[in-house]
Amino acid sequence: MFKPLAMKQVVIQLLADDLPRASLTLAELGVFSPSNREEFNEYFPDIPGEHYREIYHQACSRLQKIESHIPLGPVTTISPTRVISEQELSSTNQWLGEIWERCSSYEEHFRRLTDEEHMLNQLEQALDNFASLNIDLSLLQGERLFLDLHVGMLPSANVPKLREAIALADYLLFSYLENSNNTHVIIIGIKGARVKELRSVMDTAGFHALEIPPELHDKPERIRSDLQRRRETVARERTEHQQSMQACADEVRAQLEQARNQLILAEPYVAMGDAARNLGQLSIISGWIPERELQRVESALYKALSGPFQITADTPPRSRHREVPTCLPVNWLTSAFSSLVKQYGVPRYGEINPTLIFALSFIAMFGMMFGDVGHGAVIILAAWLGRKKLKSFTPFAICAGLSASLFGLLYGSLFGYEHLFHAVWIPPLSDPLYMLSMALFWGIGFMVIISLLYIHNRLVSGEISHALFDTNGVVSITLYLSVLAGTYQLYQSGSFGWLPAALSILTLLTLLAFKLIETQAPPGERMLVATIETFETLTGYISNTLSFLRVAAFSLNHVALAIAVFTLADMMDGTGHWLMVVGGNLFILILEGAIVTIQALRLEYYEGFSRFFSGDGTEFKPLKLSLQGVK
Amino acid sequence: MTSTSGQTYLKTRAAVMSGQLMDEQDFTAILATPLQQLEKQFGLSGISDRGLSPANLNRSIERGLINQLMNELTILLRPLNGPARETLIHWSRKFELYNLKALIRGKLNNLPYDLIRESLHILPSLISLPHEELLRTENVPELLRRLENTPYEAIARQARQVYEEKNESFSLDATIDLRYYTGLLKHAQGCDPADRSPLLKLIGSLIDRQNLPWLLRYRLNYQLSPTETYYLMIPSGRHIHTDLLKQLVNMQQLTGILEALPAPLDSQLSGAASIMEVELAMTEALNEQTRHCLHFCPSAVARTLAYMMLREMDLQRVFAILQGQVLALDETVIRQAADLDREDANV
Repeated sequence: MFKPLAMKQVVIQLLADDLPRASLTLAELGVFSPSNREEFNEYFPDIPGEHYREIYHQACSRLQKIESHIPLGPVTTISPTRVISEQELSSTNQWLGEIWERCSSYEEHFRRLTDEEHMLNQLEQALDNFASLNIDLSLLQGERLFLDLHVGMLPSANVPKLREAIALADYLLFSYLENSNNTHVIIIGIKGARVKELRSVMDTAGFHALEIPPELHDKPERIRSDLQRRRETVARERTEHQQSMQACADEVRAQLEQARNQLILAEPYVAMGDAARNLGQLSIISGWIPERELQRVESALYKALSGPFQITADTPPRSRHREVPTCLPVNWLTSAFSSLVKQYGVPRYGEINPTLIFALSFIAMFGMMFGDVGHGAVIILAAWLGRKKLKSFTPFAICAGLSASLFGLLYGSLFGYEHLFHAVWIPPLSDPLYMLSMALFWGIGFMVIISLLYIHNRLVSGEISHALFDTNGVVSITLYLSVLAGTYQLYQSGSFGWLPAALSILTLLTLLAFKLIETQAPPGERMLVATIETFETLTGYISNTLSFLRVAAFSLNHVALAIAVFTLADMMDGTGHWLMVVGGNLFILILEGAIVTIQALRLEYYEGFSRFFSGDGTEFKPLKLSLQGVK
Repeated sequence: MTSTSGQTYLKTRAAVMSGQLMDEQDFTAILATPLQQLEKQFGLSGISDRGLSPANLNRSIERGLINQLMNELTILLRPLNGPARETLIHWSRKFELYNLKALIRGKLNNLPYDLIRESLHILPSLISLPHEELLRTENVPELLRRLENTPYEAIARQARQVYEEKNESFSLDATIDLRYYTGLLKHAQGCDPADRSPLLKLIGSLIDRQNLPWLLRYRLNYQLSPTETYYLMIPSGRHIHTDLLKQLVNMQQLTGILEALPAPLDSQLSGAASIMEVELAMTEALNEQTRHCLHFCPSAVARTLAYMMLREMDLQRVFAILQGQVLALDETVIRQAADLDREDANV
């Protein structure tokens, strides 16, 4: 519970034919993390399944693209599991290719319809523009004997260049309308041998011909109605295609879900990567397994594999702990706390698992700062009602609510009312100094525990000198406690005391000596840096301890806010009074609740985690049956 | 970029970095240096120990060198903002456009995923396209549809039009290049007046270096019409202006075209008998102008761009030498590829 699970580095030797089945079995168990061991690369030079992997990735990509058009239902449990052969995967991939081709043609068609709509808009604008021109537009239509004439549009950026280019072929370009990065132009020249040359350069410039309506200056209404009709055709075509696509989706959805299941089953073999290696018919799989799962893995492989296999498990030496993935044991209660710990970082293998310490201290601090039976009950109720949205964070919120309710009992507070029942311990505002001193004691206790955890972590990783002399080490904590003891004696009897004084000086000098040895710099700079760092160690402890005063400050703040709400409520009568009480309590719950949560997290992360664990461990990510992580 | 401190910082940075630029002696020296030592010298240590095939090793070396160039650009970009920054970023987009062309060519020729992927450069996220998504497209129209959701939308739209009309990679490549250089000019025109003029001169030289060999190829090798050739030319070169371009595209002989060039290009290109020679001479001319800009230009932005251009040219030659060593080519061939023989001839 207080440490990551003990891990074993395993090598499974098996027949090459059994490799896919073994991968699937390991993924079903969800306790094996593949990892290549370089020392085997020479003896097992081949990485199997390269073609299988390529097909898988292509199929996954196709499925992903199809899913953006045809949403699939959630993944349900796949049972029974089976090995997906390369042939089966290949035909699934081919089928997905065909489906994607259909989807892609719909996508392309929709794009063309959008272009068509855009073109119709342009035509409508052209119609307005032509209508205001005082020329016989029939001159612009049809084939001419001596004249080559084109009316159309092209990207505005290409107009000057095209004008100059076609001038070389004795053509002229006139622009008559510009809108949304497109320019409407008329290109005119003498018909002859250079027509083909012109066509080619116009294509390169992105020229689109516009139709000149034959009846334009006679019956513009008719043209408008024609444009409207075409617009309706485009809309109808879009609707038809959407319906057709929907029909296609309904037709293939079930098969797509089956294909997705196949890919899920194929993924473990793909995810093995270079952790699986071959030499002829002999294969190996290397990776990490929690020690306690070893037996289960062995018996599952024994049941699943037809051929012989051998599993060897090594305990990683301390020198290789950096390579070992960290597996934090998680249950439904600690899952949310574990997620919050991982927000800071993953502890290295062998270091203390801070989840339980985090959970207990967070819940305690939240309750201390937000103690109210009613508010706690509301948090519990809200967490229970929103459990589907909160998912694994439900126990976290319920625990916070329980803690708030418990401290509410201790403080004698219910929705801010402090006279409804007697406090089991003390109403915070009755003795603020006492509350502050309690918070100080809590902070000292927290700092001592955190330093002990640091010492443990350094001892585990074999860094004995750091465990003894570094900031947060034995010497530092002795310095911290001796200064505290001396200060307390000074407060009680007026003298610091010889023992605390001697201890403080001795530890301070030891700390300074260690910093001097550790610092890599010229003598003057070394002295300066070591002195500053030693001083910073002491001030750091003091300032971090004082940070915990906020625990008391927020408990006082909670009561003070309630008083403010009641003062305002008392200024109103009847419904106004109760609306103010309810609204004020909601305000306290939401705003102060959020602030208190952030403050508690801050204390955990900055005064706690930053002192004792580096957070640079590698998380244990076992093979699982899901389409995630291996894309 | 107007702040004096920013200008000073950038000039100092460019001056310090220009110490890395190489002269002909350096290139001759690296020609005689063993491959592993060269790898160390160019931040590619251990690359040949990975057991890669010569082709893969060359690709890795090329990627490593471009990566180094991009790292240097990232350092120089720090004090820049606004159009000046955009100009330099746009210059670096040429590498992503190489990738885009490789993607389009690969899709047009139905090449397998791995083969296309191997030919792509790994670039900083600043200019990089979503390669994986684009690689997994099934054909060019789908690729262009995906590309329309990226900063390369304008290029994608134009490329689609060309693809739909012509369905071949040459016009697509030419259109992409045209868009790129036009964009570079547009960004430079948006810079502060103090930076604008030297930047346009520098980019003009770069455009001349591109335009003339293209013009010769389009007219003499591909037999494109004057109209189409002119349309594919980039406007606003430094010495080859619009009117001259119009005149040149109507000519049909290499000698005639070279004789019509203004000073100093006419003297620089006198005696060139092939397009390759023209290209080499233009590169040399560009190199000289860029070096002059790096040392004497009052604009820090122009100096920075000059440094990047020179560094790219250097690394291209370094790559030619490394590539030659990987493939165990004859020294004469490597010298030719790294453009060292011409120097010797001049000496």
